[in-house]
Amino acid sequence: MAALLELKNVKKIYDMGRDIHVEALRGVSFSIEEGSYTAIMGHSGSGKSTLLQIMGCLDRVTSGEIVIKGTAVKDMNDFQLAKFRNRTIGFVFQSFNLIGNLTAIENVELPMIYAGVPRAERRKRAMELLKLVGLEEPEERAYHRPNQLSGGQQQRVAIARALANDPAVILADEPTGNLATNQWRRILDIFKRLNESGKTIIIVTHDPLVGQEATRIITLEDGEIIKDERIK
Amino acid sequence: MEILLEAFRSLGKDKLRTFLSMLGIVIGVIAVIVAIAIGAGTTANVTARISSLGSNVIIITPGFTGGFGGRAAMALTSVLQETDVQNIQQMAPDVADVTPILQKNFNVIYQATNTVVTVVGAYPDTFSILDLPLQSGRLLNQNDENADANVAVIGNVIATTLFGNEDPVGQTVYVSTGGFQVPITIVGELKQTGSKLTFNPDNMLIIPYTTAAAKLIQLNGGVSQIIASAKSAQTALNAVDEINNILYMRLQNTNQYRVISQNQILSTVSQTTDVLTLLLASIAAISMVVGGIGIMNIMLVSVTERTKEIGVKMAMGATRRRIMVEFLVESMFITIVAGAIGVGLSFLIAALVTYLASGLGLTVIITWPSIVLSFGVSVAIGLFFGLYPAYLASKKSPVEALRYE
Repeated sequence: MAALLELKNVKKIYDMGRDIHVEALRGVSFSIEEGSYTAIMGHSGSGKSTLLQIMGCLDRVTSGEIVIKGTAVKDMNDFQLAKFRNRTIGFVFQSFNLIGNLTAIENVELPMIYAGVPRAERRKRAMELLKLVGLEEPEERAYHRPNQLSGGQQQRVAIARALANDPAVILADEPTGNLATNQWRRILDIFKRLNESGKTIIIVTHDPLVGQEATRIITLEDGEIIKDERIK
Repeated sequence: MEILLEAFRSLGKDKLRTFLSMLGIVIGVIAVIVAIAIGAGTTANVTARISSLGSNVIIITPGFTGGFGGRAAMALTSVLQETDVQNIQQMAPDVADVTPILQKNFNVIYQATNTVVTVVGAYPDTFSILDLPLQSGRLLNQNDENADANVAVIGNVIATTLFGNEDPVGQTVYVSTGGFQVPITIVGELKQTGSKLTFNPDNMLIIPYTTAAAKLIQLNGGVSQIIASAKSAQTALNAVDEINNILYMRLQNTNQYRVISQNQILSTVSQTTDVLTLLLASIAAISMVVGGIGIMNIMLVSVTERTKEIGVKMAMGATRRRIMVEFLVESMFITIVAGAIGVGLSFLIAALVTYLASGLGLTVIITWPSIVLSFGVSVAIGLFFGLYPAYLASKKSPVEALRYE
């Protein structure tokens, strides 16, 4: 299968001032195939969050190279990066990060607004996505504010938002970390279903139970890959 | 469109804060508009008063040479001479009519009433030069002038003081001068006109010039002042020049007399009020700037508070430009709404000022330029003071913004 995302000897060093440098990634190389379901695991401080930020084009590498869908991210300016994130990457965060003064459906529409999708089309697609992620009574809850929704519902809205522009890859950062067990299960089922329908998914987690869902587990420690195993 | 809606929502979330940040601009806009309105009203008032003088009037008075009262002041009162009047009449082509004025206060007695009245001796032309309308009886004419007749036209207010409800026309009053009492017969009464700059015809007794010169105000050919009218408003300045030349030929000293046209008074006065208005408006404008600083402060707080939101939006693909515009729209939304409220309220305040200060004769006229100016400035303030916070928001690193709690 074709490589969707490729990291070549990626290093990330944070300059903390006073000549203190923290080496968060010490030369990481791997590639992610289209349609795969990968878990990136590691303890806190292992560099997995840094890796997610770099794969999500939120941060730049110190050295090395990252190629997504055949495009070298290094050469892009801030504007191009924003556009690239908008169309290519769907983020799901641990704390949902819905915009508080927008309704659920407006949150889902947000990436489409940035992409310039016309209003009527946006609304229609946002509603479809809310149904796809199984939001209960979508017609009504779509117009609720995030603080009127449960954690599980908020995370489903967030997944719908990540899917808004049909991105090449979903990047999820501890997506179940703030959820009760029953909600947790439903979120992982959604990812499974999305993967089965062909979506590439990368989940960053420290939780082995979440990692089990994936077909490949990359384990990081101290900014280096210590294990890369494929399941099934 | 979405940006506007979003701005509206996030401002609506903390209504008190939004309201308070608007307040500075609202007050500033009101202050600017009302200050300019009071200036415009005052200008209009003064202009109306000066215009009531008659459109082409030129006033020639003895000049000021400095020093205090005493001999100098007395000497100056007779600087102007009857001959000047004749010279102006003959040698100034742009002057239509001219009259000498002899003016002095006297005790005037009618039956048991005794009151101080300004007696003015002047040519019959005075009535047309100063545009004084007749209420009853007749005006003075050349025959009265030729005969040194003891006749007078009386002002409206002083007529009531002397005669009460009686018709003054045909009555005789006595003007007391030294040991004498000069009988004067009232032949006409003027309509009330209000004050005409240096004159208040309502309180005057106007008699023929020859009568005044011969029997009441002896200045040996000197006159108190001279009043002339130009042939038209366009030639008024020419007339002023001609009169200046004629007086200079005799007196050889421009400090001894002053020749002023109504237009000159108008432009002097409007310059003064313009400066005052500008001063008032500038002080008011400072409050708008202070309001703008308040908005900048609020926007900076808002940018910090919403750091996480900014990070999320950036992750979703919002460009830096988009983030900047979002915050800029918010600050401009505040100032546009505040500006509009200010414009609305300024009409209310203006009405209130007019009502409260009606006794002072203060007029408040709200002008279009002041509305456009203050509204425009408030929009510009939103843009200017919103720019820096919006720039800071757009410059945030997405990673750090997302990490912010």
